[in-house]
Amino acid sequence: MHGASGHETTVLFGLHPLWVATLLFVATYAVIMTDKLNRAIVALLGAGLLILVGVLDQKEAMGAVDWNTLGLLLGMMLIVNITRRSGLFQYVAIWSAKKVDASPWGIMLMMSIVTAVFSAFLDNVTTVLLTVPVTLLITEELKVKPYPYLFAQIFASNIGGTATLIGDPPNIMIGSATGLTFNDFAIALTPVIVVIMVATLVPLYFIWGRHLSATDENRRHVMGFNEREAITDPRLLKQSLLVIALVILGFMLQRQTGIEPATIAIFGAAVLLLLDNLGKDSETQSKNVHAALSEAEWITLMFFLGLFVLVHGIQKAGLIDLMAQGLLKATGGDFNVTALAILWASAVLSAFIDNIPFVATMIPLIKAMAPTFGGDAALLPLWWALSLGACLGGNGTLIGASANLVVAGLAERAGTGFRFLEYLKVAFPLMLISIVLSHLYLYWRFL
Amino acid sequence: MTTPLIYNTVFPSLRDTDTLAEATRRMLENHVSDLPVVDGAGRLLGMFKLERLLAVLLPKAATLGDGVPDLAFMSDTIEQLRERMREIEGAAVHQFVVEPEHVLHADTSPFEAVLLLYKGANAIPVFAPDSRTLVGMVSARDVLAALQPAGAK
Repeated sequence: MHGASGHETTVLFGLHPLWVATLLFVATYAVIMTDKLNRAIVALLGAGLLILVGVLDQKEAMGAVDWNTLGLLLGMMLIVNITRRSGLFQYVAIWSAKKVDASPWGIMLMMSIVTAVFSAFLDNVTTVLLTVPVTLLITEELKVKPYPYLFAQIFASNIGGTATLIGDPPNIMIGSATGLTFNDFAIALTPVIVVIMVATLVPLYFIWGRHLSATDENRRHVMGFNEREAITDPRLLKQSLLVIALVILGFMLQRQTGIEPATIAIFGAAVLLLLDNLGKDSETQSKNVHAALSEAEWITLMFFLGLFVLVHGIQKAGLIDLMAQGLLKATGGDFNVTALAILWASAVLSAFIDNIPFVATMIPLIKAMAPTFGGDAALLPLWWALSLGACLGGNGTLIGASANLVVAGLAERAGTGFRFLEYLKVAFPLMLISIVLSHLYLYWRFL
Repeated sequence: MTTPLIYNTVFPSLRDTDTLAEATRRMLENHVSDLPVVDGAGRLLGMFKLERLLAVLLPKAATLGDGVPDLAFMSDTIEQLRERMREIEGAAVHQFVVEPEHVLHADTSPFEAVLLLYKGANAIPVFAPDSRTLVGMVSARDVLAALQPAGAK
């Protein structure tokens, strides 16, 4: 075996690195798509094999890992895990349901908005794990079918997550790879996300909302909820809100301070851990810190770690350059066509495959187009196209995003079936509407 | 050489056609929270556990992970809880039967029983050697009784 130092070197059995890296990459993605093996196992195995066969050495592999993305994800996971103990999320959900007098359509509207707003600042899966059980509780009390509510929340989580740098993993990866800040994302994407949210809720009203009804007695049950009782730890609530506000402020001032998002999130998590543990004995501190750390989604973090190595492997072997050339050839080298092709291809593919590996692959591919289009700065519309396509495309099918599967799983356990085709019939056209709006927005504002 | 397990051979049980109302009555009468469910031949079909009954009384959402970690904000009264109980008390216990988490055999070491009880088991079914025929139940109470000096009550 030879050390791989360029495309001309050979790896195991004298094979060309391009073929070996491509084979491993395709095989890894294929196994991930089958869902037969945990995705973290597959990604780490693929990454390990790339090193073992000599496509990369360990130093290159470690250098390929985007620690900024991992740090930001971990920091936000820790902050959410600590904050959830305060009861904040139940409080907001119950408060919003009561604000509309527990009317069935009003609750659907409010829970969608709450989910979208939470999702803009939290991971989508975390958001639905926090809000869907409250929705199920409220719909059970109202004695209305939960399916329309859960459907709306799936859409809201994926749409809301698209609005900011920290709302959805694809945006975190894009931001980290390009240096685009929280404000860049908010200014570029939030306007169209608001429009898409409204454009999604209107059809949902006509499909389900206008038919929903509940008896006065059942509505009184919900109105009888005391949201203040949902706050289980007022001290922790104040500490959490303070830290979340400071972290978001840190993101907003990123350009001025030059502090990277991972540092802001990890430091925020450390401050919240400190505040939560001040004055507690060492055993309680160990227990609290252990609980917060163990509840982080390590599967997701390890999955990312493996993917970064895999993508760097095919990048070094030359596959990314070949793919970029292929895409440019297909679009005739036209910038506008390339941007819109990325939007649509990302949306359709993300509806069926995991958008995280897809975006991990697309990032170096888009970067490789910089010389053709006049440098890195000119690529900005392509990044927004990728973000909108990859994040919103996840709404298209039940397997399009992790949050969709989590909601379906919770619904199944609560006795509400989520069928692939039943979901697809309404979701895919709605997803296409969101992509048409994104298309128009990109064309109007950036192309 | 192991000491024969000390277990209770006289124990309350349920048939799978019994109702929840009957199950709760027997739990109260016998001061137990887990009851074995057996067929006509005395073979164990599973366990009816109080926690399953409590889960049915709760809103489903409260039993799904950490999403609704407490229900202090709900204003329902004990009468509403009774109403929920009345709605389900006619259901047959077979809908709620679960596999026992642990089983012992009549010749198992008593230390194993003590270990399982220490780990939180309430009542453990005891089978005849090499069969699923239920011959007894062992609970912490049975172990305590067995630990008393000979002749002591």
